[in-house]
Formats: sequence, structure tokens, C-alpha cells
Amino acid sequence: MPPPSLTARAPHRSLGNLALRLRVSGVVAFLILLGAAFAVLSPQFLTPQNLRAIVSNAAILAIVAAAQAVVLLTRNLDVSVGSIMGLCAYLTADFAAAHQGVGPVLVLMPLVLGAGLGLINGLLVAYGRISPLVVTLGTLSLYRGATYIYARGQEVTSYRLPRWMIGLADATIAGVPWLVVISIVVVALLAAFLRFYPAGRRIYAVGSNPLASAFFGLRAERVIVLVYVIDGVLCGLSGFLYAARVGTVTVVLASGWELNSLAAAVIGGVSVTGGSGTVVGAALGAVVLASIDNGLVLMGVPEFWRMFIQGAAIVAAAAADVLIAVQIRKSVQGRRRFRERGA
Amino acid sequence: MKGLGSRIFGWEFALVLLIALAAAWSTYLSPYYLTVEQILYSTRHFVFPGLLALGLAVVVILGEIDISLASILAVGAVLLAKASAFGLPIVVAAPFVVCVCACLGGLNGALVARLGLPSLAVTVGTMGAYRGLAFIIGSETGYTDFDASYAYVGATRLGGLVPVSFLVFLALALAVGFLMERTVFGRRCYSVGNNKEAAWIAGVDVARLKIEAFALGGALAGLAALVWVGQYGSARGDNADGSILFVVTAVVLGGIDINGGRGRIAGVVLALFLLGTIRNGMGLANIGGPTQTVVLGLLLIIGVLRPVILNAVGRLRRMGPSGARSTLAD
Amino acid sequence: MGMHTKTIAAAALLALALGGPALAKDSGFKLMMTPKWTGFPYFEAAGRGGKDAAAELGDTFVYAGADHADVSLQVETLENFLTQKPDGIMLAAIDLNAVAPVLKQARAAGVVVTTFDADAATEARDMFVNQLSYKQAAQTMLDCALLDAPEGGEVAFVAASPTAPNHTAHIKYMKEFIANDPKYKVFTVVDTQYANDDDAKSYDVAINLMQAHPNLKVIISSSAVSAPAAARAIKSSGHAGKVFSTGFALPSAIKDYLMDGSEKAFALWNPYELGYLAAYVTHLKLAGKLDIKPGVTFTAGKAGSSTVGEQGEIVYGKPLIFTKETVDKAGF
Repeated sequence: MPPPSLTARAPHRSLGNLALRLRVSGVVAFLILLGAAFAVLSPQFLTPQNLRAIVSNAAILAIVAAAQAVVLLTRNLDVSVGSIMGLCAYLTADFAAAHQGVGPVLVLMPLVLGAGLGLINGLLVAYGRISPLVVTLGTLSLYRGATYIYARGQEVTSYRLPRWMIGLADATIAGVPWLVVISIVVVALLAAFLRFYPAGRRIYAVGSNPLASAFFGLRAERVIVLVYVIDGVLCGLSGFLYAARVGTVTVVLASGWELNSLAAAVIGGVSVTGGSGTVVGAALGAVVLASIDNGLVLMGVPEFWRMFIQGAAIVAAAAADVLIAVQIRKSVQGRRRFRERGA
Repeated sequence: MKGLGSRIFGWEFALVLLIALAAAWSTYLSPYYLTVEQILYSTRHFVFPGLLALGLAVVVILGEIDISLASILAVGAVLLAKASAFGLPIVVAAPFVVCVCACLGGLNGALVARLGLPSLAVTVGTMGAYRGLAFIIGSETGYTDFDASYAYVGATRLGGLVPVSFLVFLALALAVGFLMERTVFGRRCYSVGNNKEAAWIAGVDVARLKIEAFALGGALAGLAALVWVGQYGSARGDNADGSILFVVTAVVLGGIDINGGRGRIAGVVLALFLLGTIRNGMGLANIGGPTQTVVLGLLLIIGVLRPVILNAVGRLRRMGPSGARSTLAD
Repeated sequence: MGMHTKTIAAAALLALALGGPALAKDSGFKLMMTPKWTGFPYFEAAGRGGKDAAAELGDTFVYAGADHADVSLQVETLENFLTQKPDGIMLAAIDLNAVAPVLKQARAAGVVVTTFDADAATEARDMFVNQLSYKQAAQTMLDCALLDAPEGGEVAFVAASPTAPNHTAHIKYMKEFIANDPKYKVFTVVDTQYANDDDAKSYDVAINLMQAHPNLKVIISSSAVSAPAAARAIKSSGHAGKVFSTGFALPSAIKDYLMDGSEKAFALWNPYELGYLAAYVTHLKLAGKLDIKPGVTFTAGKAGSSTVGEQGEIVYGKPLIFTKETVDKAGF
């Protein structure tokens, strides 16, 4: 086998080069391709009201995906996100129904609850040194079970919810639904935090090289607790928004969202081995999922095939992201690594 | 192999204790629990998740994960339905279906090994894709008219007492345990799970190993499908939907380290017995589903806190003059 | 009690115990009910109904089940029931075939099996208390659609899953009615979607349906989870008054939309009474007071009189249509 070339080559025209120039990541490229394909296959796809429908459907998942991404960045994960959403949503909705006079300040309740639930996860993972999958599998059951026991066979119907809460989900600002605005703001703030604040950058550090971070005196435990608390707060918020959006608050609210958020995050290029990926990517992953759903309904594709296509799309998106990342790396380094990753 | 040797494995030992405790608690909860027939009968519900758990354990030891196994089961079930409707004898249909399922698993492996994709991402995708495939093949109505030979494994009890499916599970557990403990394949899985790069440098064909492990998981899912159609008499696209979380629970409770390289098949088997005993006891006492969920969640957390506690206790003890002792509880 | 009385009492009890099997038991049966999943108000109401019926009749009653719709968990619950040697089992089947083996076993052991809300395989159960016949269900939903949109228009169906037998039956009959019955000819079917009894999915599906079919008039949901979610989607996206949601829903869940006028009519039946009836007929069969042959009529306490239909199906047959005026009277 010829020795690997050690001389830098002039970066020639390549996909990676193009991607780098346009600062486009795998998920954005995928989204563009997807949009183009659907636009061709269905005339209604690119209309403003349809696009608005897509981002509305994606808004809440985008926040949860971003929350999952933050945890993934530290080489951990959280499969209890759905249960946190459910418990916070139910407790808040029930409280709101019983105390109609409390205004929008009520939104603090799911945030605080979520923070608490996330704190439990974080402490168990960071200080208990238990695998995050195990912890969050356990809390998935615990939190969901707690919701059930509290609810005692009831649900909170939209009639009992305060009007301002219902109104929040309906209102638009300059034609853009408030839910979408909230989602964009939250993700943007989170992205800014991760990029510009030392605490945020530490999150990346812990994930990409825990050993080196420890060497530099980074207390990984504190970072881990922080990410789970952030995750909990965002899930609490998402649960609240979900309740406002759908109107009926049941005990099974957001069941299964752990998988949705993971799917969105991986489509968005967040590495499940930590250290790389962006919350914006994860949010866009949610948009990809919503687009596929929407586009397939527009095209009249039967339900069975939709499931199949969605699954295949997730794999394709993950592949696209790895491909682009590899190409970028290649064009930047100007030489091939002597063995491709994956072996 | 199953912890019966002279070495005492900490985690497995704890599981055995917990099983005994659970059995005692179940006896207390319900007078119907403690009969041989009942206990054997109840094992049937844990055979198909158990087979999936065996496959998942191998993949996890390798350092990967496969959450599409339940969907592969569904594909297997609807394929068996098609074969039965076609009139294929079971001795032809079963190996065929197991092969197809192995290929589906192998596809997961290939995506992970050859394309370098993260296994969680891939299997989240294939979980949906294979489920969709099961629906496409299975169509709306689902199939129920299985030939008696197809239903044999899932439905028969030897002497009216011992479920055949349970015996099949035990046999496969022994086989997979042997595979992981005593063969080159198993050793390689552990070494790759521990340190992928080092294993590769040492000459292990990591890519091929991964594909084989994922294929094994798929094959076991195919066998689980055979048990399913006999036990439930129904092949539909939504078979086993949602069971993957339970399977993952069994694997992690069994002491398999999710990062790879550690844990034993014996632990998984014991964990399944533990979960089975608890659920059986609570079910016979008609304890509500939500309460069962909470108990299982608590068990998971408390159960894995045990090594932490043991560690702490061990460290305290070693501060004395007893000299250097192993700090590993598992 | 004096010694004499005690002896007589003991002798009587002994005689009863010895002659037990020979005497027809009238009461004190052990009834056990499992829904598709617990925690859903609809099934909880049915459970309460069953419990009250059992109390009224002097039977014991157990209501248990898993907290999510899982076929293998339901079978496990049924097997656990069977181990406890019940006299009667009532269930709403998730997968009609998967529960058949255990139910057949139960019947072989002399247990009376009654399904309600969702049937199991016919040979696996003694009776099926159907809330409405599939045709009746289809017609009720279409009647509500007419209340929403008397001039007709495009309609889309939302069901739980393509493998849900009752929903598929509803859709089949609705399509038939629309094609053949002049009353419903004003409608055109444009789409069928599935939302898995999940409210967020139902919401998204409704939004996507409105995008895919700009002239859509009514979304008809067989699933009580989907109808309110679709109504909410319609309202939030500003389509209230242009598109309507109808179908089966708990009155408390759609009260909001009826009150503010964005929706006109939904339907259901009384799940409490459904559960009550299921337990009642199980008791009657156990007490030997009910012959399961087509045409037999019987009275079931508070639920009034009913007739046994073909293949052991007892149609409860009391659809309730909720409008702005009637929704409060429902009481649930």
C-alpha cells in the first residue's frame, strides 16, 4: 500500500469545498434538496401558508431537539424528555385550570418544574456516575408514572384552560405564529449561549475531549448537571407550549418524543458521541421531519409508505451529514487520512 | 457461563438476590403466584423481548446500539404470515425468515461499519423504515390463520407445563453466552467495545465483526417473530411496537455497559427473570400499570446505584489495613 | 346467637358448601375488566360503569391494565386475570387475534368473556357489547358532518391506524353511504389519514390535510383523540368556519369548540353505560339468565332493555350527538 501522502495538496474543487464556502452543513443541504424535490412533486408545497404550516408543526419539536442536542454534546443523552414534557404540562395545565386568575406568569411553573426534573437526571448522571441511558430510562418511567398517579384517570380539556394560554398558541405576529417566534428565539439564545459564553463552550469541551477538559481543571460534573437542567427547562417549556397548542392535556402527552428528538438531532448533524453539532442543526432537523410529513401528505403517499420513507430519510440525512463533514475535513486538510472512519 | 462457576460475579449475584426478593414480594402480593405452572406460564411473555435482548446485548457489548430490533421482528412476523398463506412448510419458512431478518440487521451493521454512521442515528431511522416495511408487507388486516406447525414454538407447552418457547430461549441464551464467553467472535466483540482503535490495530476486522453482530441481532429478532406468531396468533405491521424500551431496560439492568466492552449475557438473562418476576407478581395483584411503571423506573435507578454504593463502601473498607483489594464491584 | 342457632347456621353453610356446584349461583361473581389502556378518561368511565354494575348485582369487580396500548401487555394482563380464576372477563381488544388464544383458554375453563368497544375474534368471546353498529357509527358521524356543512363538500377521514378494525369499518361504511345514500351524496371523499390516537400527530395531520386540500370542508375522525385535536388545529390556523372537525369525541374535550361556535356537532355514546352494560350482561350470562341467541331481549338495570344480535353482538346503540345546547347535559 502506498504511504499516505504527507504533503498538503492545493484544495481542489470538491463538494466539501463548496459546502465550506457556503457555510452549509449537511442538514441544510438536505433540507434544500428535500424542498426542491417536494416543490417539483407537489405544487402546493412552496406556498407561504404551507411553509408556515411546516414550521408551525416543527416549532415545538425544534426546541426539544435543541434540548436533546445540548445533552448529546456532552456525550450523554436524555430519553426522559417526553416524560418531563408530560409531567410539566399536566401539572401546569391542571393548576391553571384550577386557578384561572393567574396570568402569563404561570409559564414560570413548567420552567421551574422542568429544571427540577432535569436536575435529578443531571445529579444522577454526573455524581451517581450512572450511564445516562439507564438514568433517563428510569426517570422516563418515574416521571410518566407520576403523571398518571397525579391525574387519576382524568385529562385537562381545552375548555378549562385559561384563554390567554389558548390564545398564545393561536396568535401571530406579522403573519408568523407566536409559537414559531418563541421557538426561533429560544434556539437562537441557546446557540448564542453555547458559542459566546464560557459556560457554553465548556459544554463542547467536555463532550469532545473529557480527558483534556479534566486536565485543564474543567469540572465535568457541573457542566453535566447544567446541561440536564437546561434540557429540563426547555422540555418544561415545550410541554407547556404543546398543551397550549393541542388544547387537551392527557397523561400520555409527548409519549415517544424522546425518539423524535433524537431523530431530529441526528438529522441535524449532532454527533451522538459528543462534541460536535449545533442546536440550530437540531432545530433544522425538526423542520426536515415536519417537511417530510407534510410533503408526503401533499403528494398523497399512503401511510405505510410514509413510515418507510421517513425512516429511510433519517438514515439518508445522517449519511449526508457524515458525508459532508468528511468532505469538509478532506478539503480543509488537503490530504486523505490513511484509513476511513468506520472500520 | 451462567454464573454457576467458581467465580462470583458481583452484579449477577446482586440480580439473583433481587430475583429472590422479588419472588418473595410477589408471593406476598398474590396467593396465585407461587405455583410451578403459573411461573412457567408467565415466562412466555418474556421470551420474545428476551431474544431481542440477547441480540441487543451482543451489539451493545460491541459498543453500538440497535433499536430497530422490534421492527425487524414485525417484518419477520408478516413474512411468516405470507409464507404460511403460501403453504410453505415451516422448515423452509423459518430459516428463510431468519435469514431475511439477519440481512436487515446486517444492513444496519453495514451502514454503521462501512459508512461510518452512528448506530443510534441509523437505527432510529431503520426502526421506522422496517416498521413501514412490515406494514407494507402485512397490509391492513393482519394475518391469523397460521398453520399448526408455525404455531408450535410459541403455543406449545411440553407436558402441558413447560413452554417450548421458554426452552428455546434458554437454549439460545446458553448459545449466545457461550459465543460471547468462549469464542474468538465474543472476545473480539469485547475488545472492540473496549477500544476500537486498539482492536483494529491488533488486526481485528472491525467492520466485518460489526456487520456480523448486527446480523446476529436481526436473526434473533427473526426467531422472536416465530415465537410471536405462535404465542399471539397474529401477524400485523404493529407487532411488538413499543417494546424496544423494555428490551433496552433488560440489557442495561443486566449489567451491560452501554459504552461497550463490559457485561455478561448471564446478567441479561437474570435481569429478564427479575423484570418478569416483578411484573408477574404485580400483575397477579392487579396493581395498576402506572404503578408498575414507577416501580420499574425506581428499580432501574436503585439497581444501578448499587455499584456506586458498593464502591464507596469498598473504598471505606480499604482505608483500613486490609491492603489492596479490587475496587470493581462488577 | 344461641348454640342451637349456630349449629343450624353451620349445618346450612356446610350444606351450601357441599352442594355448591349443584346450586345455580346468582351473585357474588368475580368480574375482571381490562381496557385498551388505562388512564384514558373514556375507558376510566367504562371502568366505573362496570364497577357500579357489579356493586349493584353483588359481584366483585377488578379493573386493571397496562398504561399504554400494547398487545403483549394486554395478553399478559388477561393471562394474569385467568390465573386468578375469575368468573367473567370483560375487555376492549387492541388486536382481535392476539387475544384469541388466551380468551379461548378462558372460555374452555368456563369463564364468560365479553368484549366491549373493540371486539376480539368471534369464537374467542361469548358476547360483544358494541357501542354502535359500524353502520350506525358511520351514519352518526356523517349526520354530524351534515350539521357542520349542510351544503356538503370535500371530506377527509382520520383514523387511528390502518390496522384498527373498527375505524376501517367506519370508513368503509361512510364511503358506501356517501356513494349510495342521497342524503350524503353532497360529500366527496378526498383523503384518509392516520394519527395513531396521538393528539400532536392528529393536530399536524389536520394542518397538513388543510394544506393538501384547499377546498376541504370536514375532517371526520373515528378516534376520540383526533377529533378535538383537529378542531384545535382548525381554529389555530384560522380556518374556523371554513373547515369543520367532527367525529367521535368526549364532550368535555370538545366543549370549547362547540361553545365558541367554531364547531357544530360531535358524537359519542356514554362510555360509563357501555361499561355498565358489559358487566351486567356478563353477570346475566353467569347467572344463567341470558341466552345468547339472536333476537333474545333482556333488561340490564339502568341501561334499559337490549336485544342480542347476530354472533353474540349486543348493540348498545345509543349515539349521543353533542351540540352547543346539549354538551353540558352529558355530564362527562
